[in-house]
Amino acid sequence: MNIRIRPLIAAGLAGLALLVASCSKTEKKEVNLFGWSEYVPQAVLDQFEQETGIKVNYTTYASNEEMLSKLLGGAAEFDLVQPSEYVVEALIAKGKLEALDFANIPNFKNVAPEFLRQPHDPEQKFSVPYMAGTVGIVVNTEKIKDPIVGMDDVFSGKYANRIVTLNDNREILTWALRSVGRDINQITPEAIAAARPVLAKWLPQIKVYDSDSPKTALLNGDVDIGVVWSGEAALLYQEDKKFAYVLPQEGAHLWIDSLVIPKGAPHKADAEKFINFILRPEISVLISADFPYTNPNAEARKLLSPEQLGNPASYPPPGKLEAFRDIGKAAAAVDKLITDLKGGS
Amino acid sequence: MQNHPDTQLEWEFRLAPAPAAPAADAPTSTETMVDLRGVTKSFGSVTAVDNVDLTIRKGEFLTLLGPSGCGKTTLLRLLAGFEIPTSGQILLEGRDVSGVPPYRRDVNQVFQSYAIFPHLSVADNIAFGLKMRHVPANERRERVEEALALVSLAGLGKRRPHELSGGQRQRVALARALVCRPKVLLLDEPLSALDAKLRHAMQLELKQLQRQLGITFVFVTHDQEEALIMSDRIAVIHRGRIDQLGTATDIYHAPASAFTADFIGEANLLDGDIVSSNGVTAHIRLDEGVEVAVRASALRSGSTRALMSIRPEKIYITRTKPAKDNCFKGVIENEIFRGAMDELRIRVAHNLQLMAVVANESAHEHAWHKGDTVYCAIHSDDIVVVEQK
Amino acid sequence: MAAVPTSTDSSSGAKRAPRATGWLLLSPLLLWLLLFVVLPMTILFVYSFCQRDELGQVVFSFTGSNYTRILDPTYLGIFGRSLWYATLTTGLCLMIGYPVAYFIGRSPPSRRSTLLLLVMIPFWISFLLRTYAWISLLKGEGLVSALLQWTHLLVGPLDILYTPTAVVLGLVYTYLPFMILPIFTSAEKLDHSMIEAALDLGAGPVRAFTQVIIPLTKPGIFAGVLLVFVPSIGMFAVTDLMGGAKVPMIGNVIQNQFGQARDWPFGAALGITFLALFAVAFWFLHDRGEARR
Repeated sequence: MNIRIRPLIAAGLAGLALLVASCSKTEKKEVNLFGWSEYVPQAVLDQFEQETGIKVNYTTYASNEEMLSKLLGGAAEFDLVQPSEYVVEALIAKGKLEALDFANIPNFKNVAPEFLRQPHDPEQKFSVPYMAGTVGIVVNTEKIKDPIVGMDDVFSGKYANRIVTLNDNREILTWALRSVGRDINQITPEAIAAARPVLAKWLPQIKVYDSDSPKTALLNGDVDIGVVWSGEAALLYQEDKKFAYVLPQEGAHLWIDSLVIPKGAPHKADAEKFINFILRPEISVLISADFPYTNPNAEARKLLSPEQLGNPASYPPPGKLEAFRDIGKAAAAVDKLITDLKGGS
Repeated sequence: MQNHPDTQLEWEFRLAPAPAAPAADAPTSTETMVDLRGVTKSFGSVTAVDNVDLTIRKGEFLTLLGPSGCGKTTLLRLLAGFEIPTSGQILLEGRDVSGVPPYRRDVNQVFQSYAIFPHLSVADNIAFGLKMRHVPANERRERVEEALALVSLAGLGKRRPHELSGGQRQRVALARALVCRPKVLLLDEPLSALDAKLRHAMQLELKQLQRQLGITFVFVTHDQEEALIMSDRIAVIHRGRIDQLGTATDIYHAPASAFTADFIGEANLLDGDIVSSNGVTAHIRLDEGVEVAVRASALRSGSTRALMSIRPEKIYITRTKPAKDNCFKGVIENEIFRGAMDELRIRVAHNLQLMAVVANESAHEHAWHKGDTVYCAIHSDDIVVVEQK
Repeated sequence: MAAVPTSTDSSSGAKRAPRATGWLLLSPLLLWLLLFVVLPMTILFVYSFCQRDELGQVVFSFTGSNYTRILDPTYLGIFGRSLWYATLTTGLCLMIGYPVAYFIGRSPPSRRSTLLLLVMIPFWISFLLRTYAWISLLKGEGLVSALLQWTHLLVGPLDILYTPTAVVLGLVYTYLPFMILPIFTSAEKLDHSMIEAALDLGAGPVRAFTQVIIPLTKPGIFAGVLLVFVPSIGMFAVTDLMGGAKVPMIGNVIQNQFGQARDWPFGAALGITFLALFAVAFWFLHDRGEARR
């Protein structure tokens, strides 16, 4: 998951909320949650406060990078953050996270094992999966009858100018790396050089890049096929069953957003209480009801309706999934590659 | 008020030969330059100019005089071409120009606000009209220099308008219009923004310039004194019509209406019944009960009522009763100091007060004072019958 | 008036105003400038010579590489394109905005406020909403497309959305009021007798316009051009939304440095370069404007 709503608005709101949060520093019991916008239902926060008397101050961000700059800027003290997997990895490497006290989180047992001990937190000491999802292909089956199984089908040239993709440089590069059979987490100059001709052929076929609301172009009929977040695809499927979701056979990005506690968090114990609360199956389903991502909570999944479970974007058939590792400074090279290719079109 | 450049110019005025008395050598011809025939201009339901017939002679200085809102400016705008008459014709040297736009008329205007282009230098402002007429650059330069010299601004061509004083700007506006050698120069209250002294100097200079160039000037003003000083002829405008057209002397001494009598200079206006006439002198009983004698020739036979005008300076004030026709005993009710003149308000009858103007002697022993009993004497020739029926 | 040159220059009186009061009155502005202009600029300037670490944090070790990177053809090309789009946008805004502003400025005061209101009303709606409205108008199955096909002006669906045309359209739409308002102010102040004087001196309507009206409304044009050109060159939201993020403008590149690419120093260097370009352009334009005055 990368950017969900307009960064401008979100940044403004987050800034404002931050200001308010830091101003009202009373000795009331509270937990400061710094999370993605539109990711935690208000009902969940309310119920937590009702049960425990701990108030949750929910401030939001629109991208991992925005979150990082605010978290590391040190302007505010957060107790809980929701980074994506590659950011968790970087934060662990830099020693920016507190190890969790799992004794305070008995509900951790509810999490399905396939979401645990991933490369970004191999010992599962620092993070608890919150929601997960994939990046896959959405096909308007009314317009496209041919079978679509992978990126090479999307970019065969047949659907030129009928394609929407995420506007995410690393994500785009990843598709090309898989196409040429390279490790998606090894961003070397050679890897970039290998991916470049593929992307040079692919990118001109794209009609829209949109990370925020790629479903818009699909719903408007301006494009017939897209490479999008599974959450967007799930919403499209809810809207109209003609939008099929396909995990590319060569592999897809599995993203996991986790709850972590930053180093020096003032209310660590209460934050763990909140994590435990979230992992309760009956609470977890409330989140799924609002946001149709893949719920990593195995016990909660048992409570979902057949309709929810039947949404192929939320719960796709098993496929080859890979998580992102942090690529550090190589992000600049990726940015230059994609900017160059876009600019050249 | 004025910056020093004006002060310098003022010296130049003083060094210039003083203009001769008006109308003495005016070379006004009888040829027609502009002919307005039944010109009417309405704005919606308001008639600004109402069926005006007016002939403007070649080379004359004609003033359109009237209070604000009388239609004089609209008349000027009709001549300039900014307005198109609702009905009637405007002939310029015999050619109907009623619908001709301003940029195709050989007529130029000096605007009340001067309308100097702030983005152009003085020389470029003056050259503007020549440029629009595609006058070659060489000739343009010469004519601009000439025009600058004409209005005593030689050497100031490179100045920017904002560096000029009000008086200088006025001269630029004049030069800019004159350089086009228009058939008629229209001037819309061009002196109203100047202070009293400079204005007076400019009045004389403008008049001088007009005689020197022989261009027909149509001058709009609401200042009757200005009109009297400058004009060959004055058209008094009242409610969109020409109330009276004539020379300054005509209009001052023989106003043809109560309006003109009142508007030009000051006047005591008196109403009365004609009671007797012996062919030389006629007697009129004023509504206030007093009787005056006027020249019988001023009255038409059969008239029964008359409206008369007496100029305040024509009333002679004495302490002893003079042996004259029209002599009234009265008491000074008010004395108003007016500088060179003293204005007296004299009660001569229960409900009749006369205004008289005398040379100011208030510093002297024999000065007039409030409460003095005096005699007012008026020569019967000085009682002008302006209306009768 | 006396023959002695009298100096009643108004500036000599102003000189006597106490200095302390002046500074006191200015202090809120100075503080504001210091806090929100000078300080951020300084930070940006310092950052532009720094490096980044793996997490994207700024490391204070001097390098000039951020500036040499700008010279890469990729970024130079984008600078060039941004300039071109902004110029095109400014030109179109001027062509559309001038007549509108002039018309409003010359209409009777009673009608003027109504017309101005009509120009301003779109401002009351969120910029994003308006942009999304354009998207739904211009989409292949949208209103404009349907209308054009219905009137047979177009065969097949409209293909404007997510093209550079849509970007320029969006930019023109967004910034048009910024062109109209300053020109309106100039046109409103324009003394009508100036136009009459031009006509009186033999200039037809066209020459009166080019020789007098345009020069006299130049301050408005200058302000309008600046107000449209500067923001449109750095705009990224319209390029993303209406252009489908396909052709990056310099604003998108900068935005990316502070976002995904996590390269603040490079973003800062781009920003500073950008600022320097504007400063030079402004200085040049302003200087020439002054010289002509």
